[in-house]
Amino acid sequence: MLPGDLLIHSYRGETIVPRRVPLDSHHRQLAGGLIETFRLAHGSTQAQLDSTLGELEGDSPDYRLRRGLVHLLKSFCTFEVISPLEPVKLRSRLFALAATGTPGSLHTEHCLKQLSGILSEELERAVFPDQIRGALYADLSQNQVLTQFEEPTPDALLHRYNLSQVQGVFYRATHVQLNVHRNDPGEYKYLFRFLKLFGLMTYIEGEPEHGFTLTIDGPTSLFQAHTHYGLALAKLLPALLHVNRWDLTASLKTRDPYSKAVRTSTFNLAAGCGLVSHYPPGKPFDSMLEQSFFEQWQTLKTDWRLEREVHLLPLPGSVMIPDFRLVHPDGREYILEIVGYWRPSYLQKKFSQVRRVDCPRLLLALSERLNLEKAGVKLDNLPATIIWFKDKLSAKAVLQALD
Amino acid sequence: MARTSTLSFDRGSLLLHPPPRGKAWIDYATWDDRVEKFRIPAISYRPLVESLQHESTRFTDEARAFQVLSLESHFEMTPYPHQREALAAWEEAGGSGVVVLPTASGKTYLAQMAIQATGRSTLVVAPTLDLLHQWYAHLKAAFPDVPIGLLGGGSRDESPILVATYDSAAIHAETLGNRYALVVFDECHHLPGDFYRKIAEYTIAPYRLGLTATPERSDNRHCDLDHLIGPVVYRRSPAQLAGGALAPHRTVQIKVHLSAGERHDYDTHIATRNEFLKQSNLSLGGAEGWQRFVQASARSSAGRRAMNAHRQAKAIALGTESKLRVLAELLARHYPEQTLIFTHDNATVHRISERFLIPAITHQTGVKERHAILQAFRAGEYRTIVASQVLNEGVDVPEASVAIILSGTASEREYIQRLGRILRRGRDPNKNAILYEVFTQDTSEERTSARRHPHTRPHHV
Repeated sequence: MLPGDLLIHSYRGETIVPRRVPLDSHHRQLAGGLIETFRLAHGSTQAQLDSTLGELEGDSPDYRLRRGLVHLLKSFCTFEVISPLEPVKLRSRLFALAATGTPGSLHTEHCLKQLSGILSEELERAVFPDQIRGALYADLSQNQVLTQFEEPTPDALLHRYNLSQVQGVFYRATHVQLNVHRNDPGEYKYLFRFLKLFGLMTYIEGEPEHGFTLTIDGPTSLFQAHTHYGLALAKLLPALLHVNRWDLTASLKTRDPYSKAVRTSTFNLAAGCGLVSHYPPGKPFDSMLEQSFFEQWQTLKTDWRLEREVHLLPLPGSVMIPDFRLVHPDGREYILEIVGYWRPSYLQKKFSQVRRVDCPRLLLALSERLNLEKAGVKLDNLPATIIWFKDKLSAKAVLQALD
Repeated sequence: MARTSTLSFDRGSLLLHPPPRGKAWIDYATWDDRVEKFRIPAISYRPLVESLQHESTRFTDEARAFQVLSLESHFEMTPYPHQREALAAWEEAGGSGVVVLPTASGKTYLAQMAIQATGRSTLVVAPTLDLLHQWYAHLKAAFPDVPIGLLGGGSRDESPILVATYDSAAIHAETLGNRYALVVFDECHHLPGDFYRKIAEYTIAPYRLGLTATPERSDNRHCDLDHLIGPVVYRRSPAQLAGGALAPHRTVQIKVHLSAGERHDYDTHIATRNEFLKQSNLSLGGAEGWQRFVQASARSSAGRRAMNAHRQAKAIALGTESKLRVLAELLARHYPEQTLIFTHDNATVHRISERFLIPAITHQTGVKERHAILQAFRAGEYRTIVASQVLNEGVDVPEASVAIILSGTASEREYIQRLGRILRRGRDPNKNAILYEVFTQDTSEERTSARRHPHTRPHHV
């Protein structure tokens, strides 16, 4: 992501348009050139790298684009302190020595010589005054040495830049209204995992036929629209890019830098926006169990359709995303949740979810291997039909439970 | 019978569930559909609890996670009258409010008295790493039996008394919010900013103390302090305290000349810049002129060249060899007096440090090293420290008797605070502090220096 001063956008009417660079030969060349500068800077200090980059920048008016790319490239770098002696120790010894006399260039040379003599003896190798002078501030970030560079491709860098510019718009977001429809449950689970990770909350409305509307903000957004969760919303965007079908409206609150007046505006984005995520994608199925069940069902001859377009069942403070939905042409509908996990805490959570949720008819497929008693789970009062299975959930058993 | 209502803390806010009897609490609560409970801003904790108690409503308070501390101070001095009066005024106001006192008037000791009077878990928020460490050292000396922790500058402690930077406290506001009964906001004029205000908004702390020398903000948002901390409960100006805590001082201004080579480079850069300004029909007068120059410089190569020339000219005017020659002379004259050197930029700090072998403090200096340097300076092992802007706000360096400012920036607050630091009363009651201001002739900086002293004209040395 980019700091505020490197964000570039324009306005089309009231709509904010973040800078997006095309992946054409000019920009690929620019990105490639910068990547090469970083590659060649292996072993040089950050200050040397910055000065090379500064020379390359020259009088070019697109310096903010270049600096943005450079900022992103630095996140692929490792800089290290290279010094024969820990600089903090070196400084304290040299300064203590120097404090015994009147400051001045003669005194400085004298102290450097004196310490080089002492250190040569201590370390049993020659240490020169100039070496000490050079290593005195080796730990400052500008004096640290580039030792590792995980080189991205020019295209990956440009994609990351375009994504970061859009993420920058969200820094000023008070909340996001997200419409989702007909996505895999795995994608919803992936999205909600990141929502939770970044401390965000949702208000969910809708149903599977027409889609869901998620209002995303944080706990204290309730009292006042503010931008405290803007950074978290920006971080959510790369996760959202792994969801197939969505569109969103972000409500923004911006402060005019000169007049200080606060104004509100909106920003729209939708699936197919061309942005590329760098987060690792989730898996379409939670487990092999679900996948094999799904494949089995396709071989059955039945009017019941097994749908992956599911309900998002709001729970206070959370959401339940069942694995499947079963729909009959006559309008009957069931939800299917497969529980094959062992961890007691997971089971407790799952069953308390099932008890609290207000949902259509629920089929619960439980593995016989689950040690429910040990997990402290009782099956009384569950608003669900239970299907037990051993290693593999058979599609026929589920069909029987339906009819 | 209905279950007893429970008040709990949730990431900077409170949940009250199930809804209790009585009505008064409803004024503070908002229904939250997302969790199907009533939610209340954390900052309303105290009035909420008071209203529940007033109506004798039964509820379980699971929100508060602060503790009662037995605080025995090992570090007591007779408070100055203004410290005693300020504490009394703060307590009178129910333990929430802002105290306005000049730099170097003993705000830290006032806070120590407030912490002791409250006797509960306390969070202290300070704007810089130097102040962070200064509070840490002071509180450790005052309360040796209580764990004192740091948040920020590489540390992430959890302790009943915690000292944090504004940045770290804001980042962790959601989790810190219910752990402290008293929050002390040092230099509290920083608090109303967009990012920092949530430190106050997300905490349930019933007791709040704001400390500052200069509460006013140019954006007028100091009015928000009433809501975030409390009203100003006590206020004294430097004039009202003069002769008390502050030591006498004198200021000496030294004008230096650029070398011929520097003069030439400077003139060339300024000419390049002015040529562009003339061609583009721009003038640098007023804030708007500068804005227009910045905008124009982003649009063409000539504009970028002019902006770079402007920067280089400024750099020449700020960090000249001539100033370092004057510095060498001053250091020799005052050795071995305790001396502080301030410069405008880190590059000059390190240049001075390397040339004169003087320990440097910049924002890049680690907290431990910074602490060690200041300790050694206090102990007299180091005679001199060179620092950039990091020492700007109220850092306690009591033994300094000479301060040298090399090219500062024109900001009144910065100037007052820098002055306050060296004017702090040391152990020697006869101490006469000297402040040198070294600036360059015939550059924009001269105007900066003149702006600092509206009443005195710079004189030549």
